[in-house]
Amino acid sequence: MSTSRFVQLRLSNGLAVVIEVMPHVPSVACGFLARTGARDEHSALAGVSHFLEHMCFKGTARRDWQRINIEFDEMGSQYNAYTSKDRTFYYGWVRAEELERQLDLLADMMRSTLPAGEFDVEKQVVLEEIAMSGDDLSSNAYDLLYESLCPDSPLAWPVLGYERTIRELSVEQMRAYHASRYAPENLTLVVAGRVDPENVVAMAERLCGDWPAVEAGPRGPAPVLRSGVARRSLERFHQQAVVLAFPAAPGTHELNETAESIAAILGGSNSRFYWNIMQKGLSTQAAVFREEYGDFGLMVLYALCEPAHCERVLEAMRHEAQTLVEQGPEPKEVQRVKNLRRTSLAVEAEAPFYRLGQIVDDMEYHGQPRSAEERLAAVERVSDESIRDYLQQFPITGEGLLVSVGPRAWPES
Amino acid sequence: MSVFEERVEHRRLDCGIDLAVMEIPGRSVVAVELRVLAGYALESPDYLGVAYVMDEAIAKGTAKRDGRALNDAFDAIGVSHSSFAGRETAGFSCLCLPEFLDEAIALHAEMLRTPAFPRDACEVAVELSRQALAALDDEPLDLAKKLLSRQAYGEPLGRHALGECATLDRIGRDQVVEHWQRFFAADRMLVAVAGPVEAGRVADLFERAFAGFRAPTASTEIQPEPAVRFAPGRTHYPKDFEQEQVVMCFPGAAVTDADYPVELVVLGALAGGMSGRLWTEVREKQGLVYWVSAWGDHPRRGGMVHLGASTTPQHLDRTYATLLREINRLAEDLTAAEVERAIIGIVSQVQTRGDVTRSRASRLVDDLFFHGRPMALAEKVARVRAVTVDAVRRYLTAHPRDRLSVVTLGPQDLQAE
Repeated sequence: MSTSRFVQLRLSNGLAVVIEVMPHVPSVACGFLARTGARDEHSALAGVSHFLEHMCFKGTARRDWQRINIEFDEMGSQYNAYTSKDRTFYYGWVRAEELERQLDLLADMMRSTLPAGEFDVEKQVVLEEIAMSGDDLSSNAYDLLYESLCPDSPLAWPVLGYERTIRELSVEQMRAYHASRYAPENLTLVVAGRVDPENVVAMAERLCGDWPAVEAGPRGPAPVLRSGVARRSLERFHQQAVVLAFPAAPGTHELNETAESIAAILGGSNSRFYWNIMQKGLSTQAAVFREEYGDFGLMVLYALCEPAHCERVLEAMRHEAQTLVEQGPEPKEVQRVKNLRRTSLAVEAEAPFYRLGQIVDDMEYHGQPRSAEERLAAVERVSDESIRDYLQQFPITGEGLLVSVGPRAWPES
Repeated sequence: MSVFEERVEHRRLDCGIDLAVMEIPGRSVVAVELRVLAGYALESPDYLGVAYVMDEAIAKGTAKRDGRALNDAFDAIGVSHSSFAGRETAGFSCLCLPEFLDEAIALHAEMLRTPAFPRDACEVAVELSRQALAALDDEPLDLAKKLLSRQAYGEPLGRHALGECATLDRIGRDQVVEHWQRFFAADRMLVAVAGPVEAGRVADLFERAFAGFRAPTASTEIQPEPAVRFAPGRTHYPKDFEQEQVVMCFPGAAVTDADYPVELVVLGALAGGMSGRLWTEVREKQGLVYWVSAWGDHPRRGGMVHLGASTTPQHLDRTYATLLREINRLAEDLTAAEVERAIIGIVSQVQTRGDVTRSRASRLVDDLFFHGRPMALAEKVARVRAVTVDAVRRYLTAHPRDRLSVVTLGPQDLQAE
């Protein structure tokens, strides 16, 4: 399928380096993965990981924010960063000849000085982002899902934090968080594309080798997941979000690809949800997605609908889940999902940027990158039996956690 | 071969299809982009939304099989396929492994040539369109863009794909079939294929699959593309959101204009990256927004430059004033370094995205739509690289920004003009 190969090592200060050599492409993508996110925060600092991600663009010992922005654009990079519950990732996709310059810039940002003079302006930007999220129905539903699912865990709060915690956060608190969570042992440099791996390793040594080794500290335990009902009335929205979540396999689980197939059979394109919920006129969007972490997972059944359709949509989602558990998949469903995965793997192998995301997942869940062939083999192992086996271990029937957000105060009790 | 040289074959097939094929040996997938000149700007005014409804209904069955069987047939060969109802075209996209290209084309032909448009599927499509139209109320930016299009472009280019409640109510199977019959024919189709293929063979496949494709009442006249009109003005729409949306536009260049590469550079200088003017002045220096952007919108016969930002009500006036200031002063103080960065950004993006087969096919089908032929990438890149500060100043003089079309949407109106 592809001619790529991997090189993986760790510098003496603990920084992990993963390289995928892709001789068939003319570009290269690279990034730093910080193994930190909302779940690593103290409640008083809710949102610090994401705010920190913004601040890493605001200045280093060698560059102010304007210089950082200009350099990204001078090399024609396609770049950005994101923060999630359990990770923060900074990346750039450039022509192969710009790799060294791109790496130099990203590495410098990992040692940001978090300039105090920029802190309050950027705080305003983050507060705007929180307001924007408040105007998004799906974001409201996602936030309520975690808030209700694991209220005793840092996973409960939004990645963006709360307006209150962001307003109260000081630059000193952020610096302390940065010093421990961006320790080399908690970072991974990922590079994919047309590269000479020896060159990349030499660059990594030169740019990151003198970062002092400090202890990042352990990550908190897996959350205790609750079931039940949570609702939030938000009258300004027209539609209702109806979400049903069940505990699922963690990203490390051997039946991970099976879980992916179940989500696709139930709620992908040409799926049971598509034909039996959307094509019954009940919902404009009905899907199933997975939330994966190293120590737990979620299977999330999700629909947007007219408020008057809530009952029927929920009943239909439960019915489809029940039917799959009781009767298992049809052989053609398993096969079609596998066929589509084959095509998507071929597409992913085309571009270094696509590969970065997958390598980051692989590092988190498997400790090493996986080749397209390995992943294809995992796809091939999905079967009627593996699906039944998975659903025995991680049932999607029963109460689960029902979340409802929208103009209707539903369910009533 | 330079990264900007591509092997492209272009021909008008006997069946009427305008076909361009980019041969890229060594790729693992084939991308097909197919456009039918059947966008919602061409709908009958009585049935606005019918192009969207037809797009929803076209994969719900053919003369040979029902909707599930049709979609299962696509899945059986691992074809990733999608479609959209665009303003001037109906679009169909397909990605597949090379060994399945023949079957993928045959399935598309079956879907486009012999749709059954089952009555119940049409009814569901209308119902879901109605719900989606109402759900636009939950999407502040999409709603603001819709309102700006209607205000700035007017009829018919300012329409929205989802139509209007009153017109959706009139749509049934008969109207869907009529829309398909009017516009779906091989000589209204533009097709681009990219991947490890041989152009002659691809041409044969399409020739066979679409020979004689003309619906019984398909129009024999070439429908002229709608002219682009512009109406300046400013309207505020009250809405209970946390943020205000501010979107605006002014007339720009058509894709076929000599000025088009200059416009790309202008957009790059405004918002091509984080060093762009808007990001720098609105977000980085003042912290007024999380999102701010500028983009071009191009119907076939014209273009508009758009700007947009979302901000909380207390920052609305400063955000608006900064947007106006930046588009006005660009002609006065744009630097050669900014132009150079914008050019690098455009060229570099062409190179990196060239790794993605689908993006090559998309670019190719856009060439067919706008230029009527594939454009040499090297020539396009050379035209962008030739843009200078003076050229940008000339462009900005030729495209005045003193008459804008502006929409704000949110809890409060601007305090001062």
